[in-house]
Amino acid sequence: MTGPQSSGGSPIKDAWDVIAGAMLLAFSLVLLFYLIPEHIGVPPVMQNPMMSPRWLPTIVGWLLLAFSLLLIAQGFLTADSDDSGRRFERGPWLRFALMGLALVVYVGLFELLGAILSGILATLLLFIAHPVRTWWVYSLAIAFPLGVSLLFTEVMNVPLPTLPF
Amino acid sequence: MKKLLNVLCAATCGGAVALTLSVSTAQAQEWPSDDVRLVVPYAPGGTTDVLSRRVADLLKEELDANIVVENRPGAGSTVATGRLARGGRDADHTILMASPGHAIGAAIYPNLTYDPVEDFVFIQNMLNIPNVMVVPADSPYDTPLEFIEAAQDQNMSFSSSGVGSSIHMSGELFKTMTGSDMTHVPFAGSGAALPALLGGDVDVSFENMPTVFSHIQSGDLKALAVTSEERSQYLPDVPTLKEIGEHGLDDFVTTAWFGLIAHESFPEEAVTTMQEALQAVMEREEFTSFVEQLGGEKGTRAGDEFKAFIASEVERWDAVAEQAGLRQE
Amino acid sequence: MENLTEVLQLFLAAENFLAIAVGVIVGVTVGSIPGLTATMAVALALPFTFSMEPVAAILLLVGIYKGGMYGGSITAILIRTPGSPASACTLLDGYPLAQQGEAKKALKMALYSSVIADFISNIALIFFAAYLAKIALNFGAPEFFWLICFSLTIIISLASGSMIKGLIAALLGILFSLVGLDSVFGSQRLTFGNYNLMDSISFIPLLIGLFAIPEIIEFYRKKVVPHLRAKASGAGVSLGELKRSLKSIVRGSLIGVCIGAIPGTGATAAAFISYSDAKRRSPNRERFGKGEVEGVAASEAGNNGVAGATMIPLLSLGIPGDVITAIILGAFMVHGLTPGPLLFQENLPLIYALFLGIMLSSLILLVVGNAAIRYFSLIADIPKSILFPIVLMFCVYGAYAVNNDTFDVWLMLGFGLLGYVFNRTGIPAAPFLIGFILGPMFEDNLRRSLLIGSNDLSIFVRGPITWFFIALTVGSILLALYRFVSSRHKAKREVSEPGSGV
Repeated sequence: MTGPQSSGGSPIKDAWDVIAGAMLLAFSLVLLFYLIPEHIGVPPVMQNPMMSPRWLPTIVGWLLLAFSLLLIAQGFLTADSDDSGRRFERGPWLRFALMGLALVVYVGLFELLGAILSGILATLLLFIAHPVRTWWVYSLAIAFPLGVSLLFTEVMNVPLPTLPF
Repeated sequence: MKKLLNVLCAATCGGAVALTLSVSTAQAQEWPSDDVRLVVPYAPGGTTDVLSRRVADLLKEELDANIVVENRPGAGSTVATGRLARGGRDADHTILMASPGHAIGAAIYPNLTYDPVEDFVFIQNMLNIPNVMVVPADSPYDTPLEFIEAAQDQNMSFSSSGVGSSIHMSGELFKTMTGSDMTHVPFAGSGAALPALLGGDVDVSFENMPTVFSHIQSGDLKALAVTSEERSQYLPDVPTLKEIGEHGLDDFVTTAWFGLIAHESFPEEAVTTMQEALQAVMEREEFTSFVEQLGGEKGTRAGDEFKAFIASEVERWDAVAEQAGLRQE
Repeated sequence: MENLTEVLQLFLAAENFLAIAVGVIVGVTVGSIPGLTATMAVALALPFTFSMEPVAAILLLVGIYKGGMYGGSITAILIRTPGSPASACTLLDGYPLAQQGEAKKALKMALYSSVIADFISNIALIFFAAYLAKIALNFGAPEFFWLICFSLTIIISLASGSMIKGLIAALLGILFSLVGLDSVFGSQRLTFGNYNLMDSISFIPLLIGLFAIPEIIEFYRKKVVPHLRAKASGAGVSLGELKRSLKSIVRGSLIGVCIGAIPGTGATAAAFISYSDAKRRSPNRERFGKGEVEGVAASEAGNNGVAGATMIPLLSLGIPGDVITAIILGAFMVHGLTPGPLLFQENLPLIYALFLGIMLSSLILLVVGNAAIRYFSLIADIPKSILFPIVLMFCVYGAYAVNNDTFDVWLMLGFGLLGYVFNRTGIPAAPFLIGFILGPMFEDNLRRSLLIGSNDLSIFVRGPITWFFIALTVGSILLALYRFVSSRHKAKREVSEPGSGV
């Protein structure tokens, strides 16, 4: 179990639903009262309200609002019958943190280091995170980014920022 | 684990054999000293893309260098163009296939980080395609004048391949010049727009020639006029809008033009090399038949003349965008 | 029959056979690499066709198209990464099957179903092109609008588990699809002035992010579990299973053909429509999404049914229904041919030679696919600790290659996080995808209808096609309501029975 326990005795049957519903409720309010009026431009003249760029987003916003309320209600009233895929035993935090770091490498250093180096770095991090104990597997972390980058750029003529220089 | 390596070998070799290596053959010479990147500011599949790949294929032989075609779509063509304008370390080996979107984008997108005229070197205009004013086969109008007169009394609809396309802007230009009442119906690309025109859901379109040429020949669409300076050799019986002369149409000339541009720091000797190579490309028989197939004309403008032309395009679409209320704030 | 000899002369060239074979192999390979789509492969192969004979040139591209359509399902099944958008639906059942050690069965079913659908689609192209093209021309914005409305009802059947969560996912999908420039007025919607968002959110990074990345994140969040050796060399599809799914395959193929013949809807939607149709009709509905082989069959039939049929509007009307056919149209042009009504009059032998080649491509797909399965199913044997880092690398490279921009890498990882949150909260990703695909089509066709009809609402009921789809839409909603009510009744009865309550 990862999250708040859902027990038969508490008034809340599925806490995750309530949390998700509350977050969606907040989001739909932000959408309706800030994002749509501030970030969707409307032309000066329009023959029909359905033509407005704001029409569909507004409908989606109100429906989201309604469904998030329903989701909260559902969380209070019924336990999720099928959440087998949502429960698991959590692993060590270091493993998770290193994976996060690998993602950060791709997000932050892809353009800076190029595809090959960031690929090698991130793959090594993920191997260490698991951790992989077969030593020769680590050579794959170099072979794959190198090989695939060359496959992309040289064979298929698909451009990638291969190296920083 | 041997299995894994086998899989990868199989996959890699398969790809390698199949796609055939296009090895860089750059030799020791002044320019190009590296691969040349040809940026297509649109997604694969359009006229710009096919033209670019056709040109790159021929240019490769003329320049004796590898040409890498890179699609970089986004916000009209302004994302790719903005990137080109920023320069960078390979700006001296990067060229871009510009099209009307270059001028229209500058007119309708807000806060562009570049000047569409001053920040670039204009190498060569490769191809010009006229737009054709087409109506469905069962349309009651046979001449542009009949259409204009009808459009002044009743609302007409015109289709386009999307907001800010040269097809859309031509329609807007027509609307303001003739003072007619027309509703713009945008579609997602010319392919999607065509059935609406063939089926008679919209009244008129100012489509690019290659999209509608075969339908004009087969009689499914009626061509009322072409928008080029002179009559098209492929549709000799169809008048130009300029010929009509009335309703302020005497300077209605719009063409879909395509040409190569580069960052302003593009070396002068490279411009010359490119222009010579492109001239050779344009004289090739393969290029000629390609241009004929599109119903277009080879571009003649190069260098400063090309630049002046684009400056006039920017100015013109700027005015249309202003009047049609398309300028974004 | 002097035509026949001419046709055979055009068709029986070694170059043609080579072109189809190479095309299918390249298609399957590229299609199976996440981020590298069949579209990209066709665009990259285009220059190679310039120097070829026209028939061989077109067949090479068609081969890539068909191979790519199938290839996408390989990685969808094995690593939950749709190699191409159209195979997103295949992973719903394909990946669970692979996790249960039935990778080979799923791959084989996907292949057989693809080939059958491909064959049916080709038959439709060859014999009914003229009729289907006429229907396509009668398919204006209002007809499209109702088709989309009907397609939206499939969300109901895709939302396994909680209906509320399914609808929330779809709404979020629609919302994300609206980011970008407004298609009618060109005004900005939720772009926050970011140029990368003005052409709306790219589909492929979203797709990879939503499905592949959460799986990877989850793997590193969970405690290490010993690698379950999959039976890669295990059982394929039995004849009985194929027979059981055959109805779904044929129905899916026909759905694919109809969707393909109408330009602009696309293979991804066809796969989902076929899938939900199969699910609705199946007696073991609740197994769908948990590893039902019929689900794989239905979605692959749907997307491969499209491949041949998109050639219908292309060849008979000169209208490309999707990006790939737009590139193939370009290839025709380069060779001095203009698809459309005139091509049939002036170049009939060439058309027939193409038809023969396209038929042959289905056969070659079967052979190549079988060989590919033999190698690719070994991927299921690789421990996830080695496989997932490499998958992530492919995803990042692929996302970058879509638009040559790091922004798409960020988008992909962002949607990966969203997908992870979805998994944790039990919100299904498939309806999100449907909303994302259909949202803009819904809005565009609604507005287009209003523009064409000058705000006269009667345009929405203007002909038999609109009524047909209105009936389907209403029927589909009523069926869902009926099922919902009857399942509630059943649940109540079970609860009220003594001894079974809480």
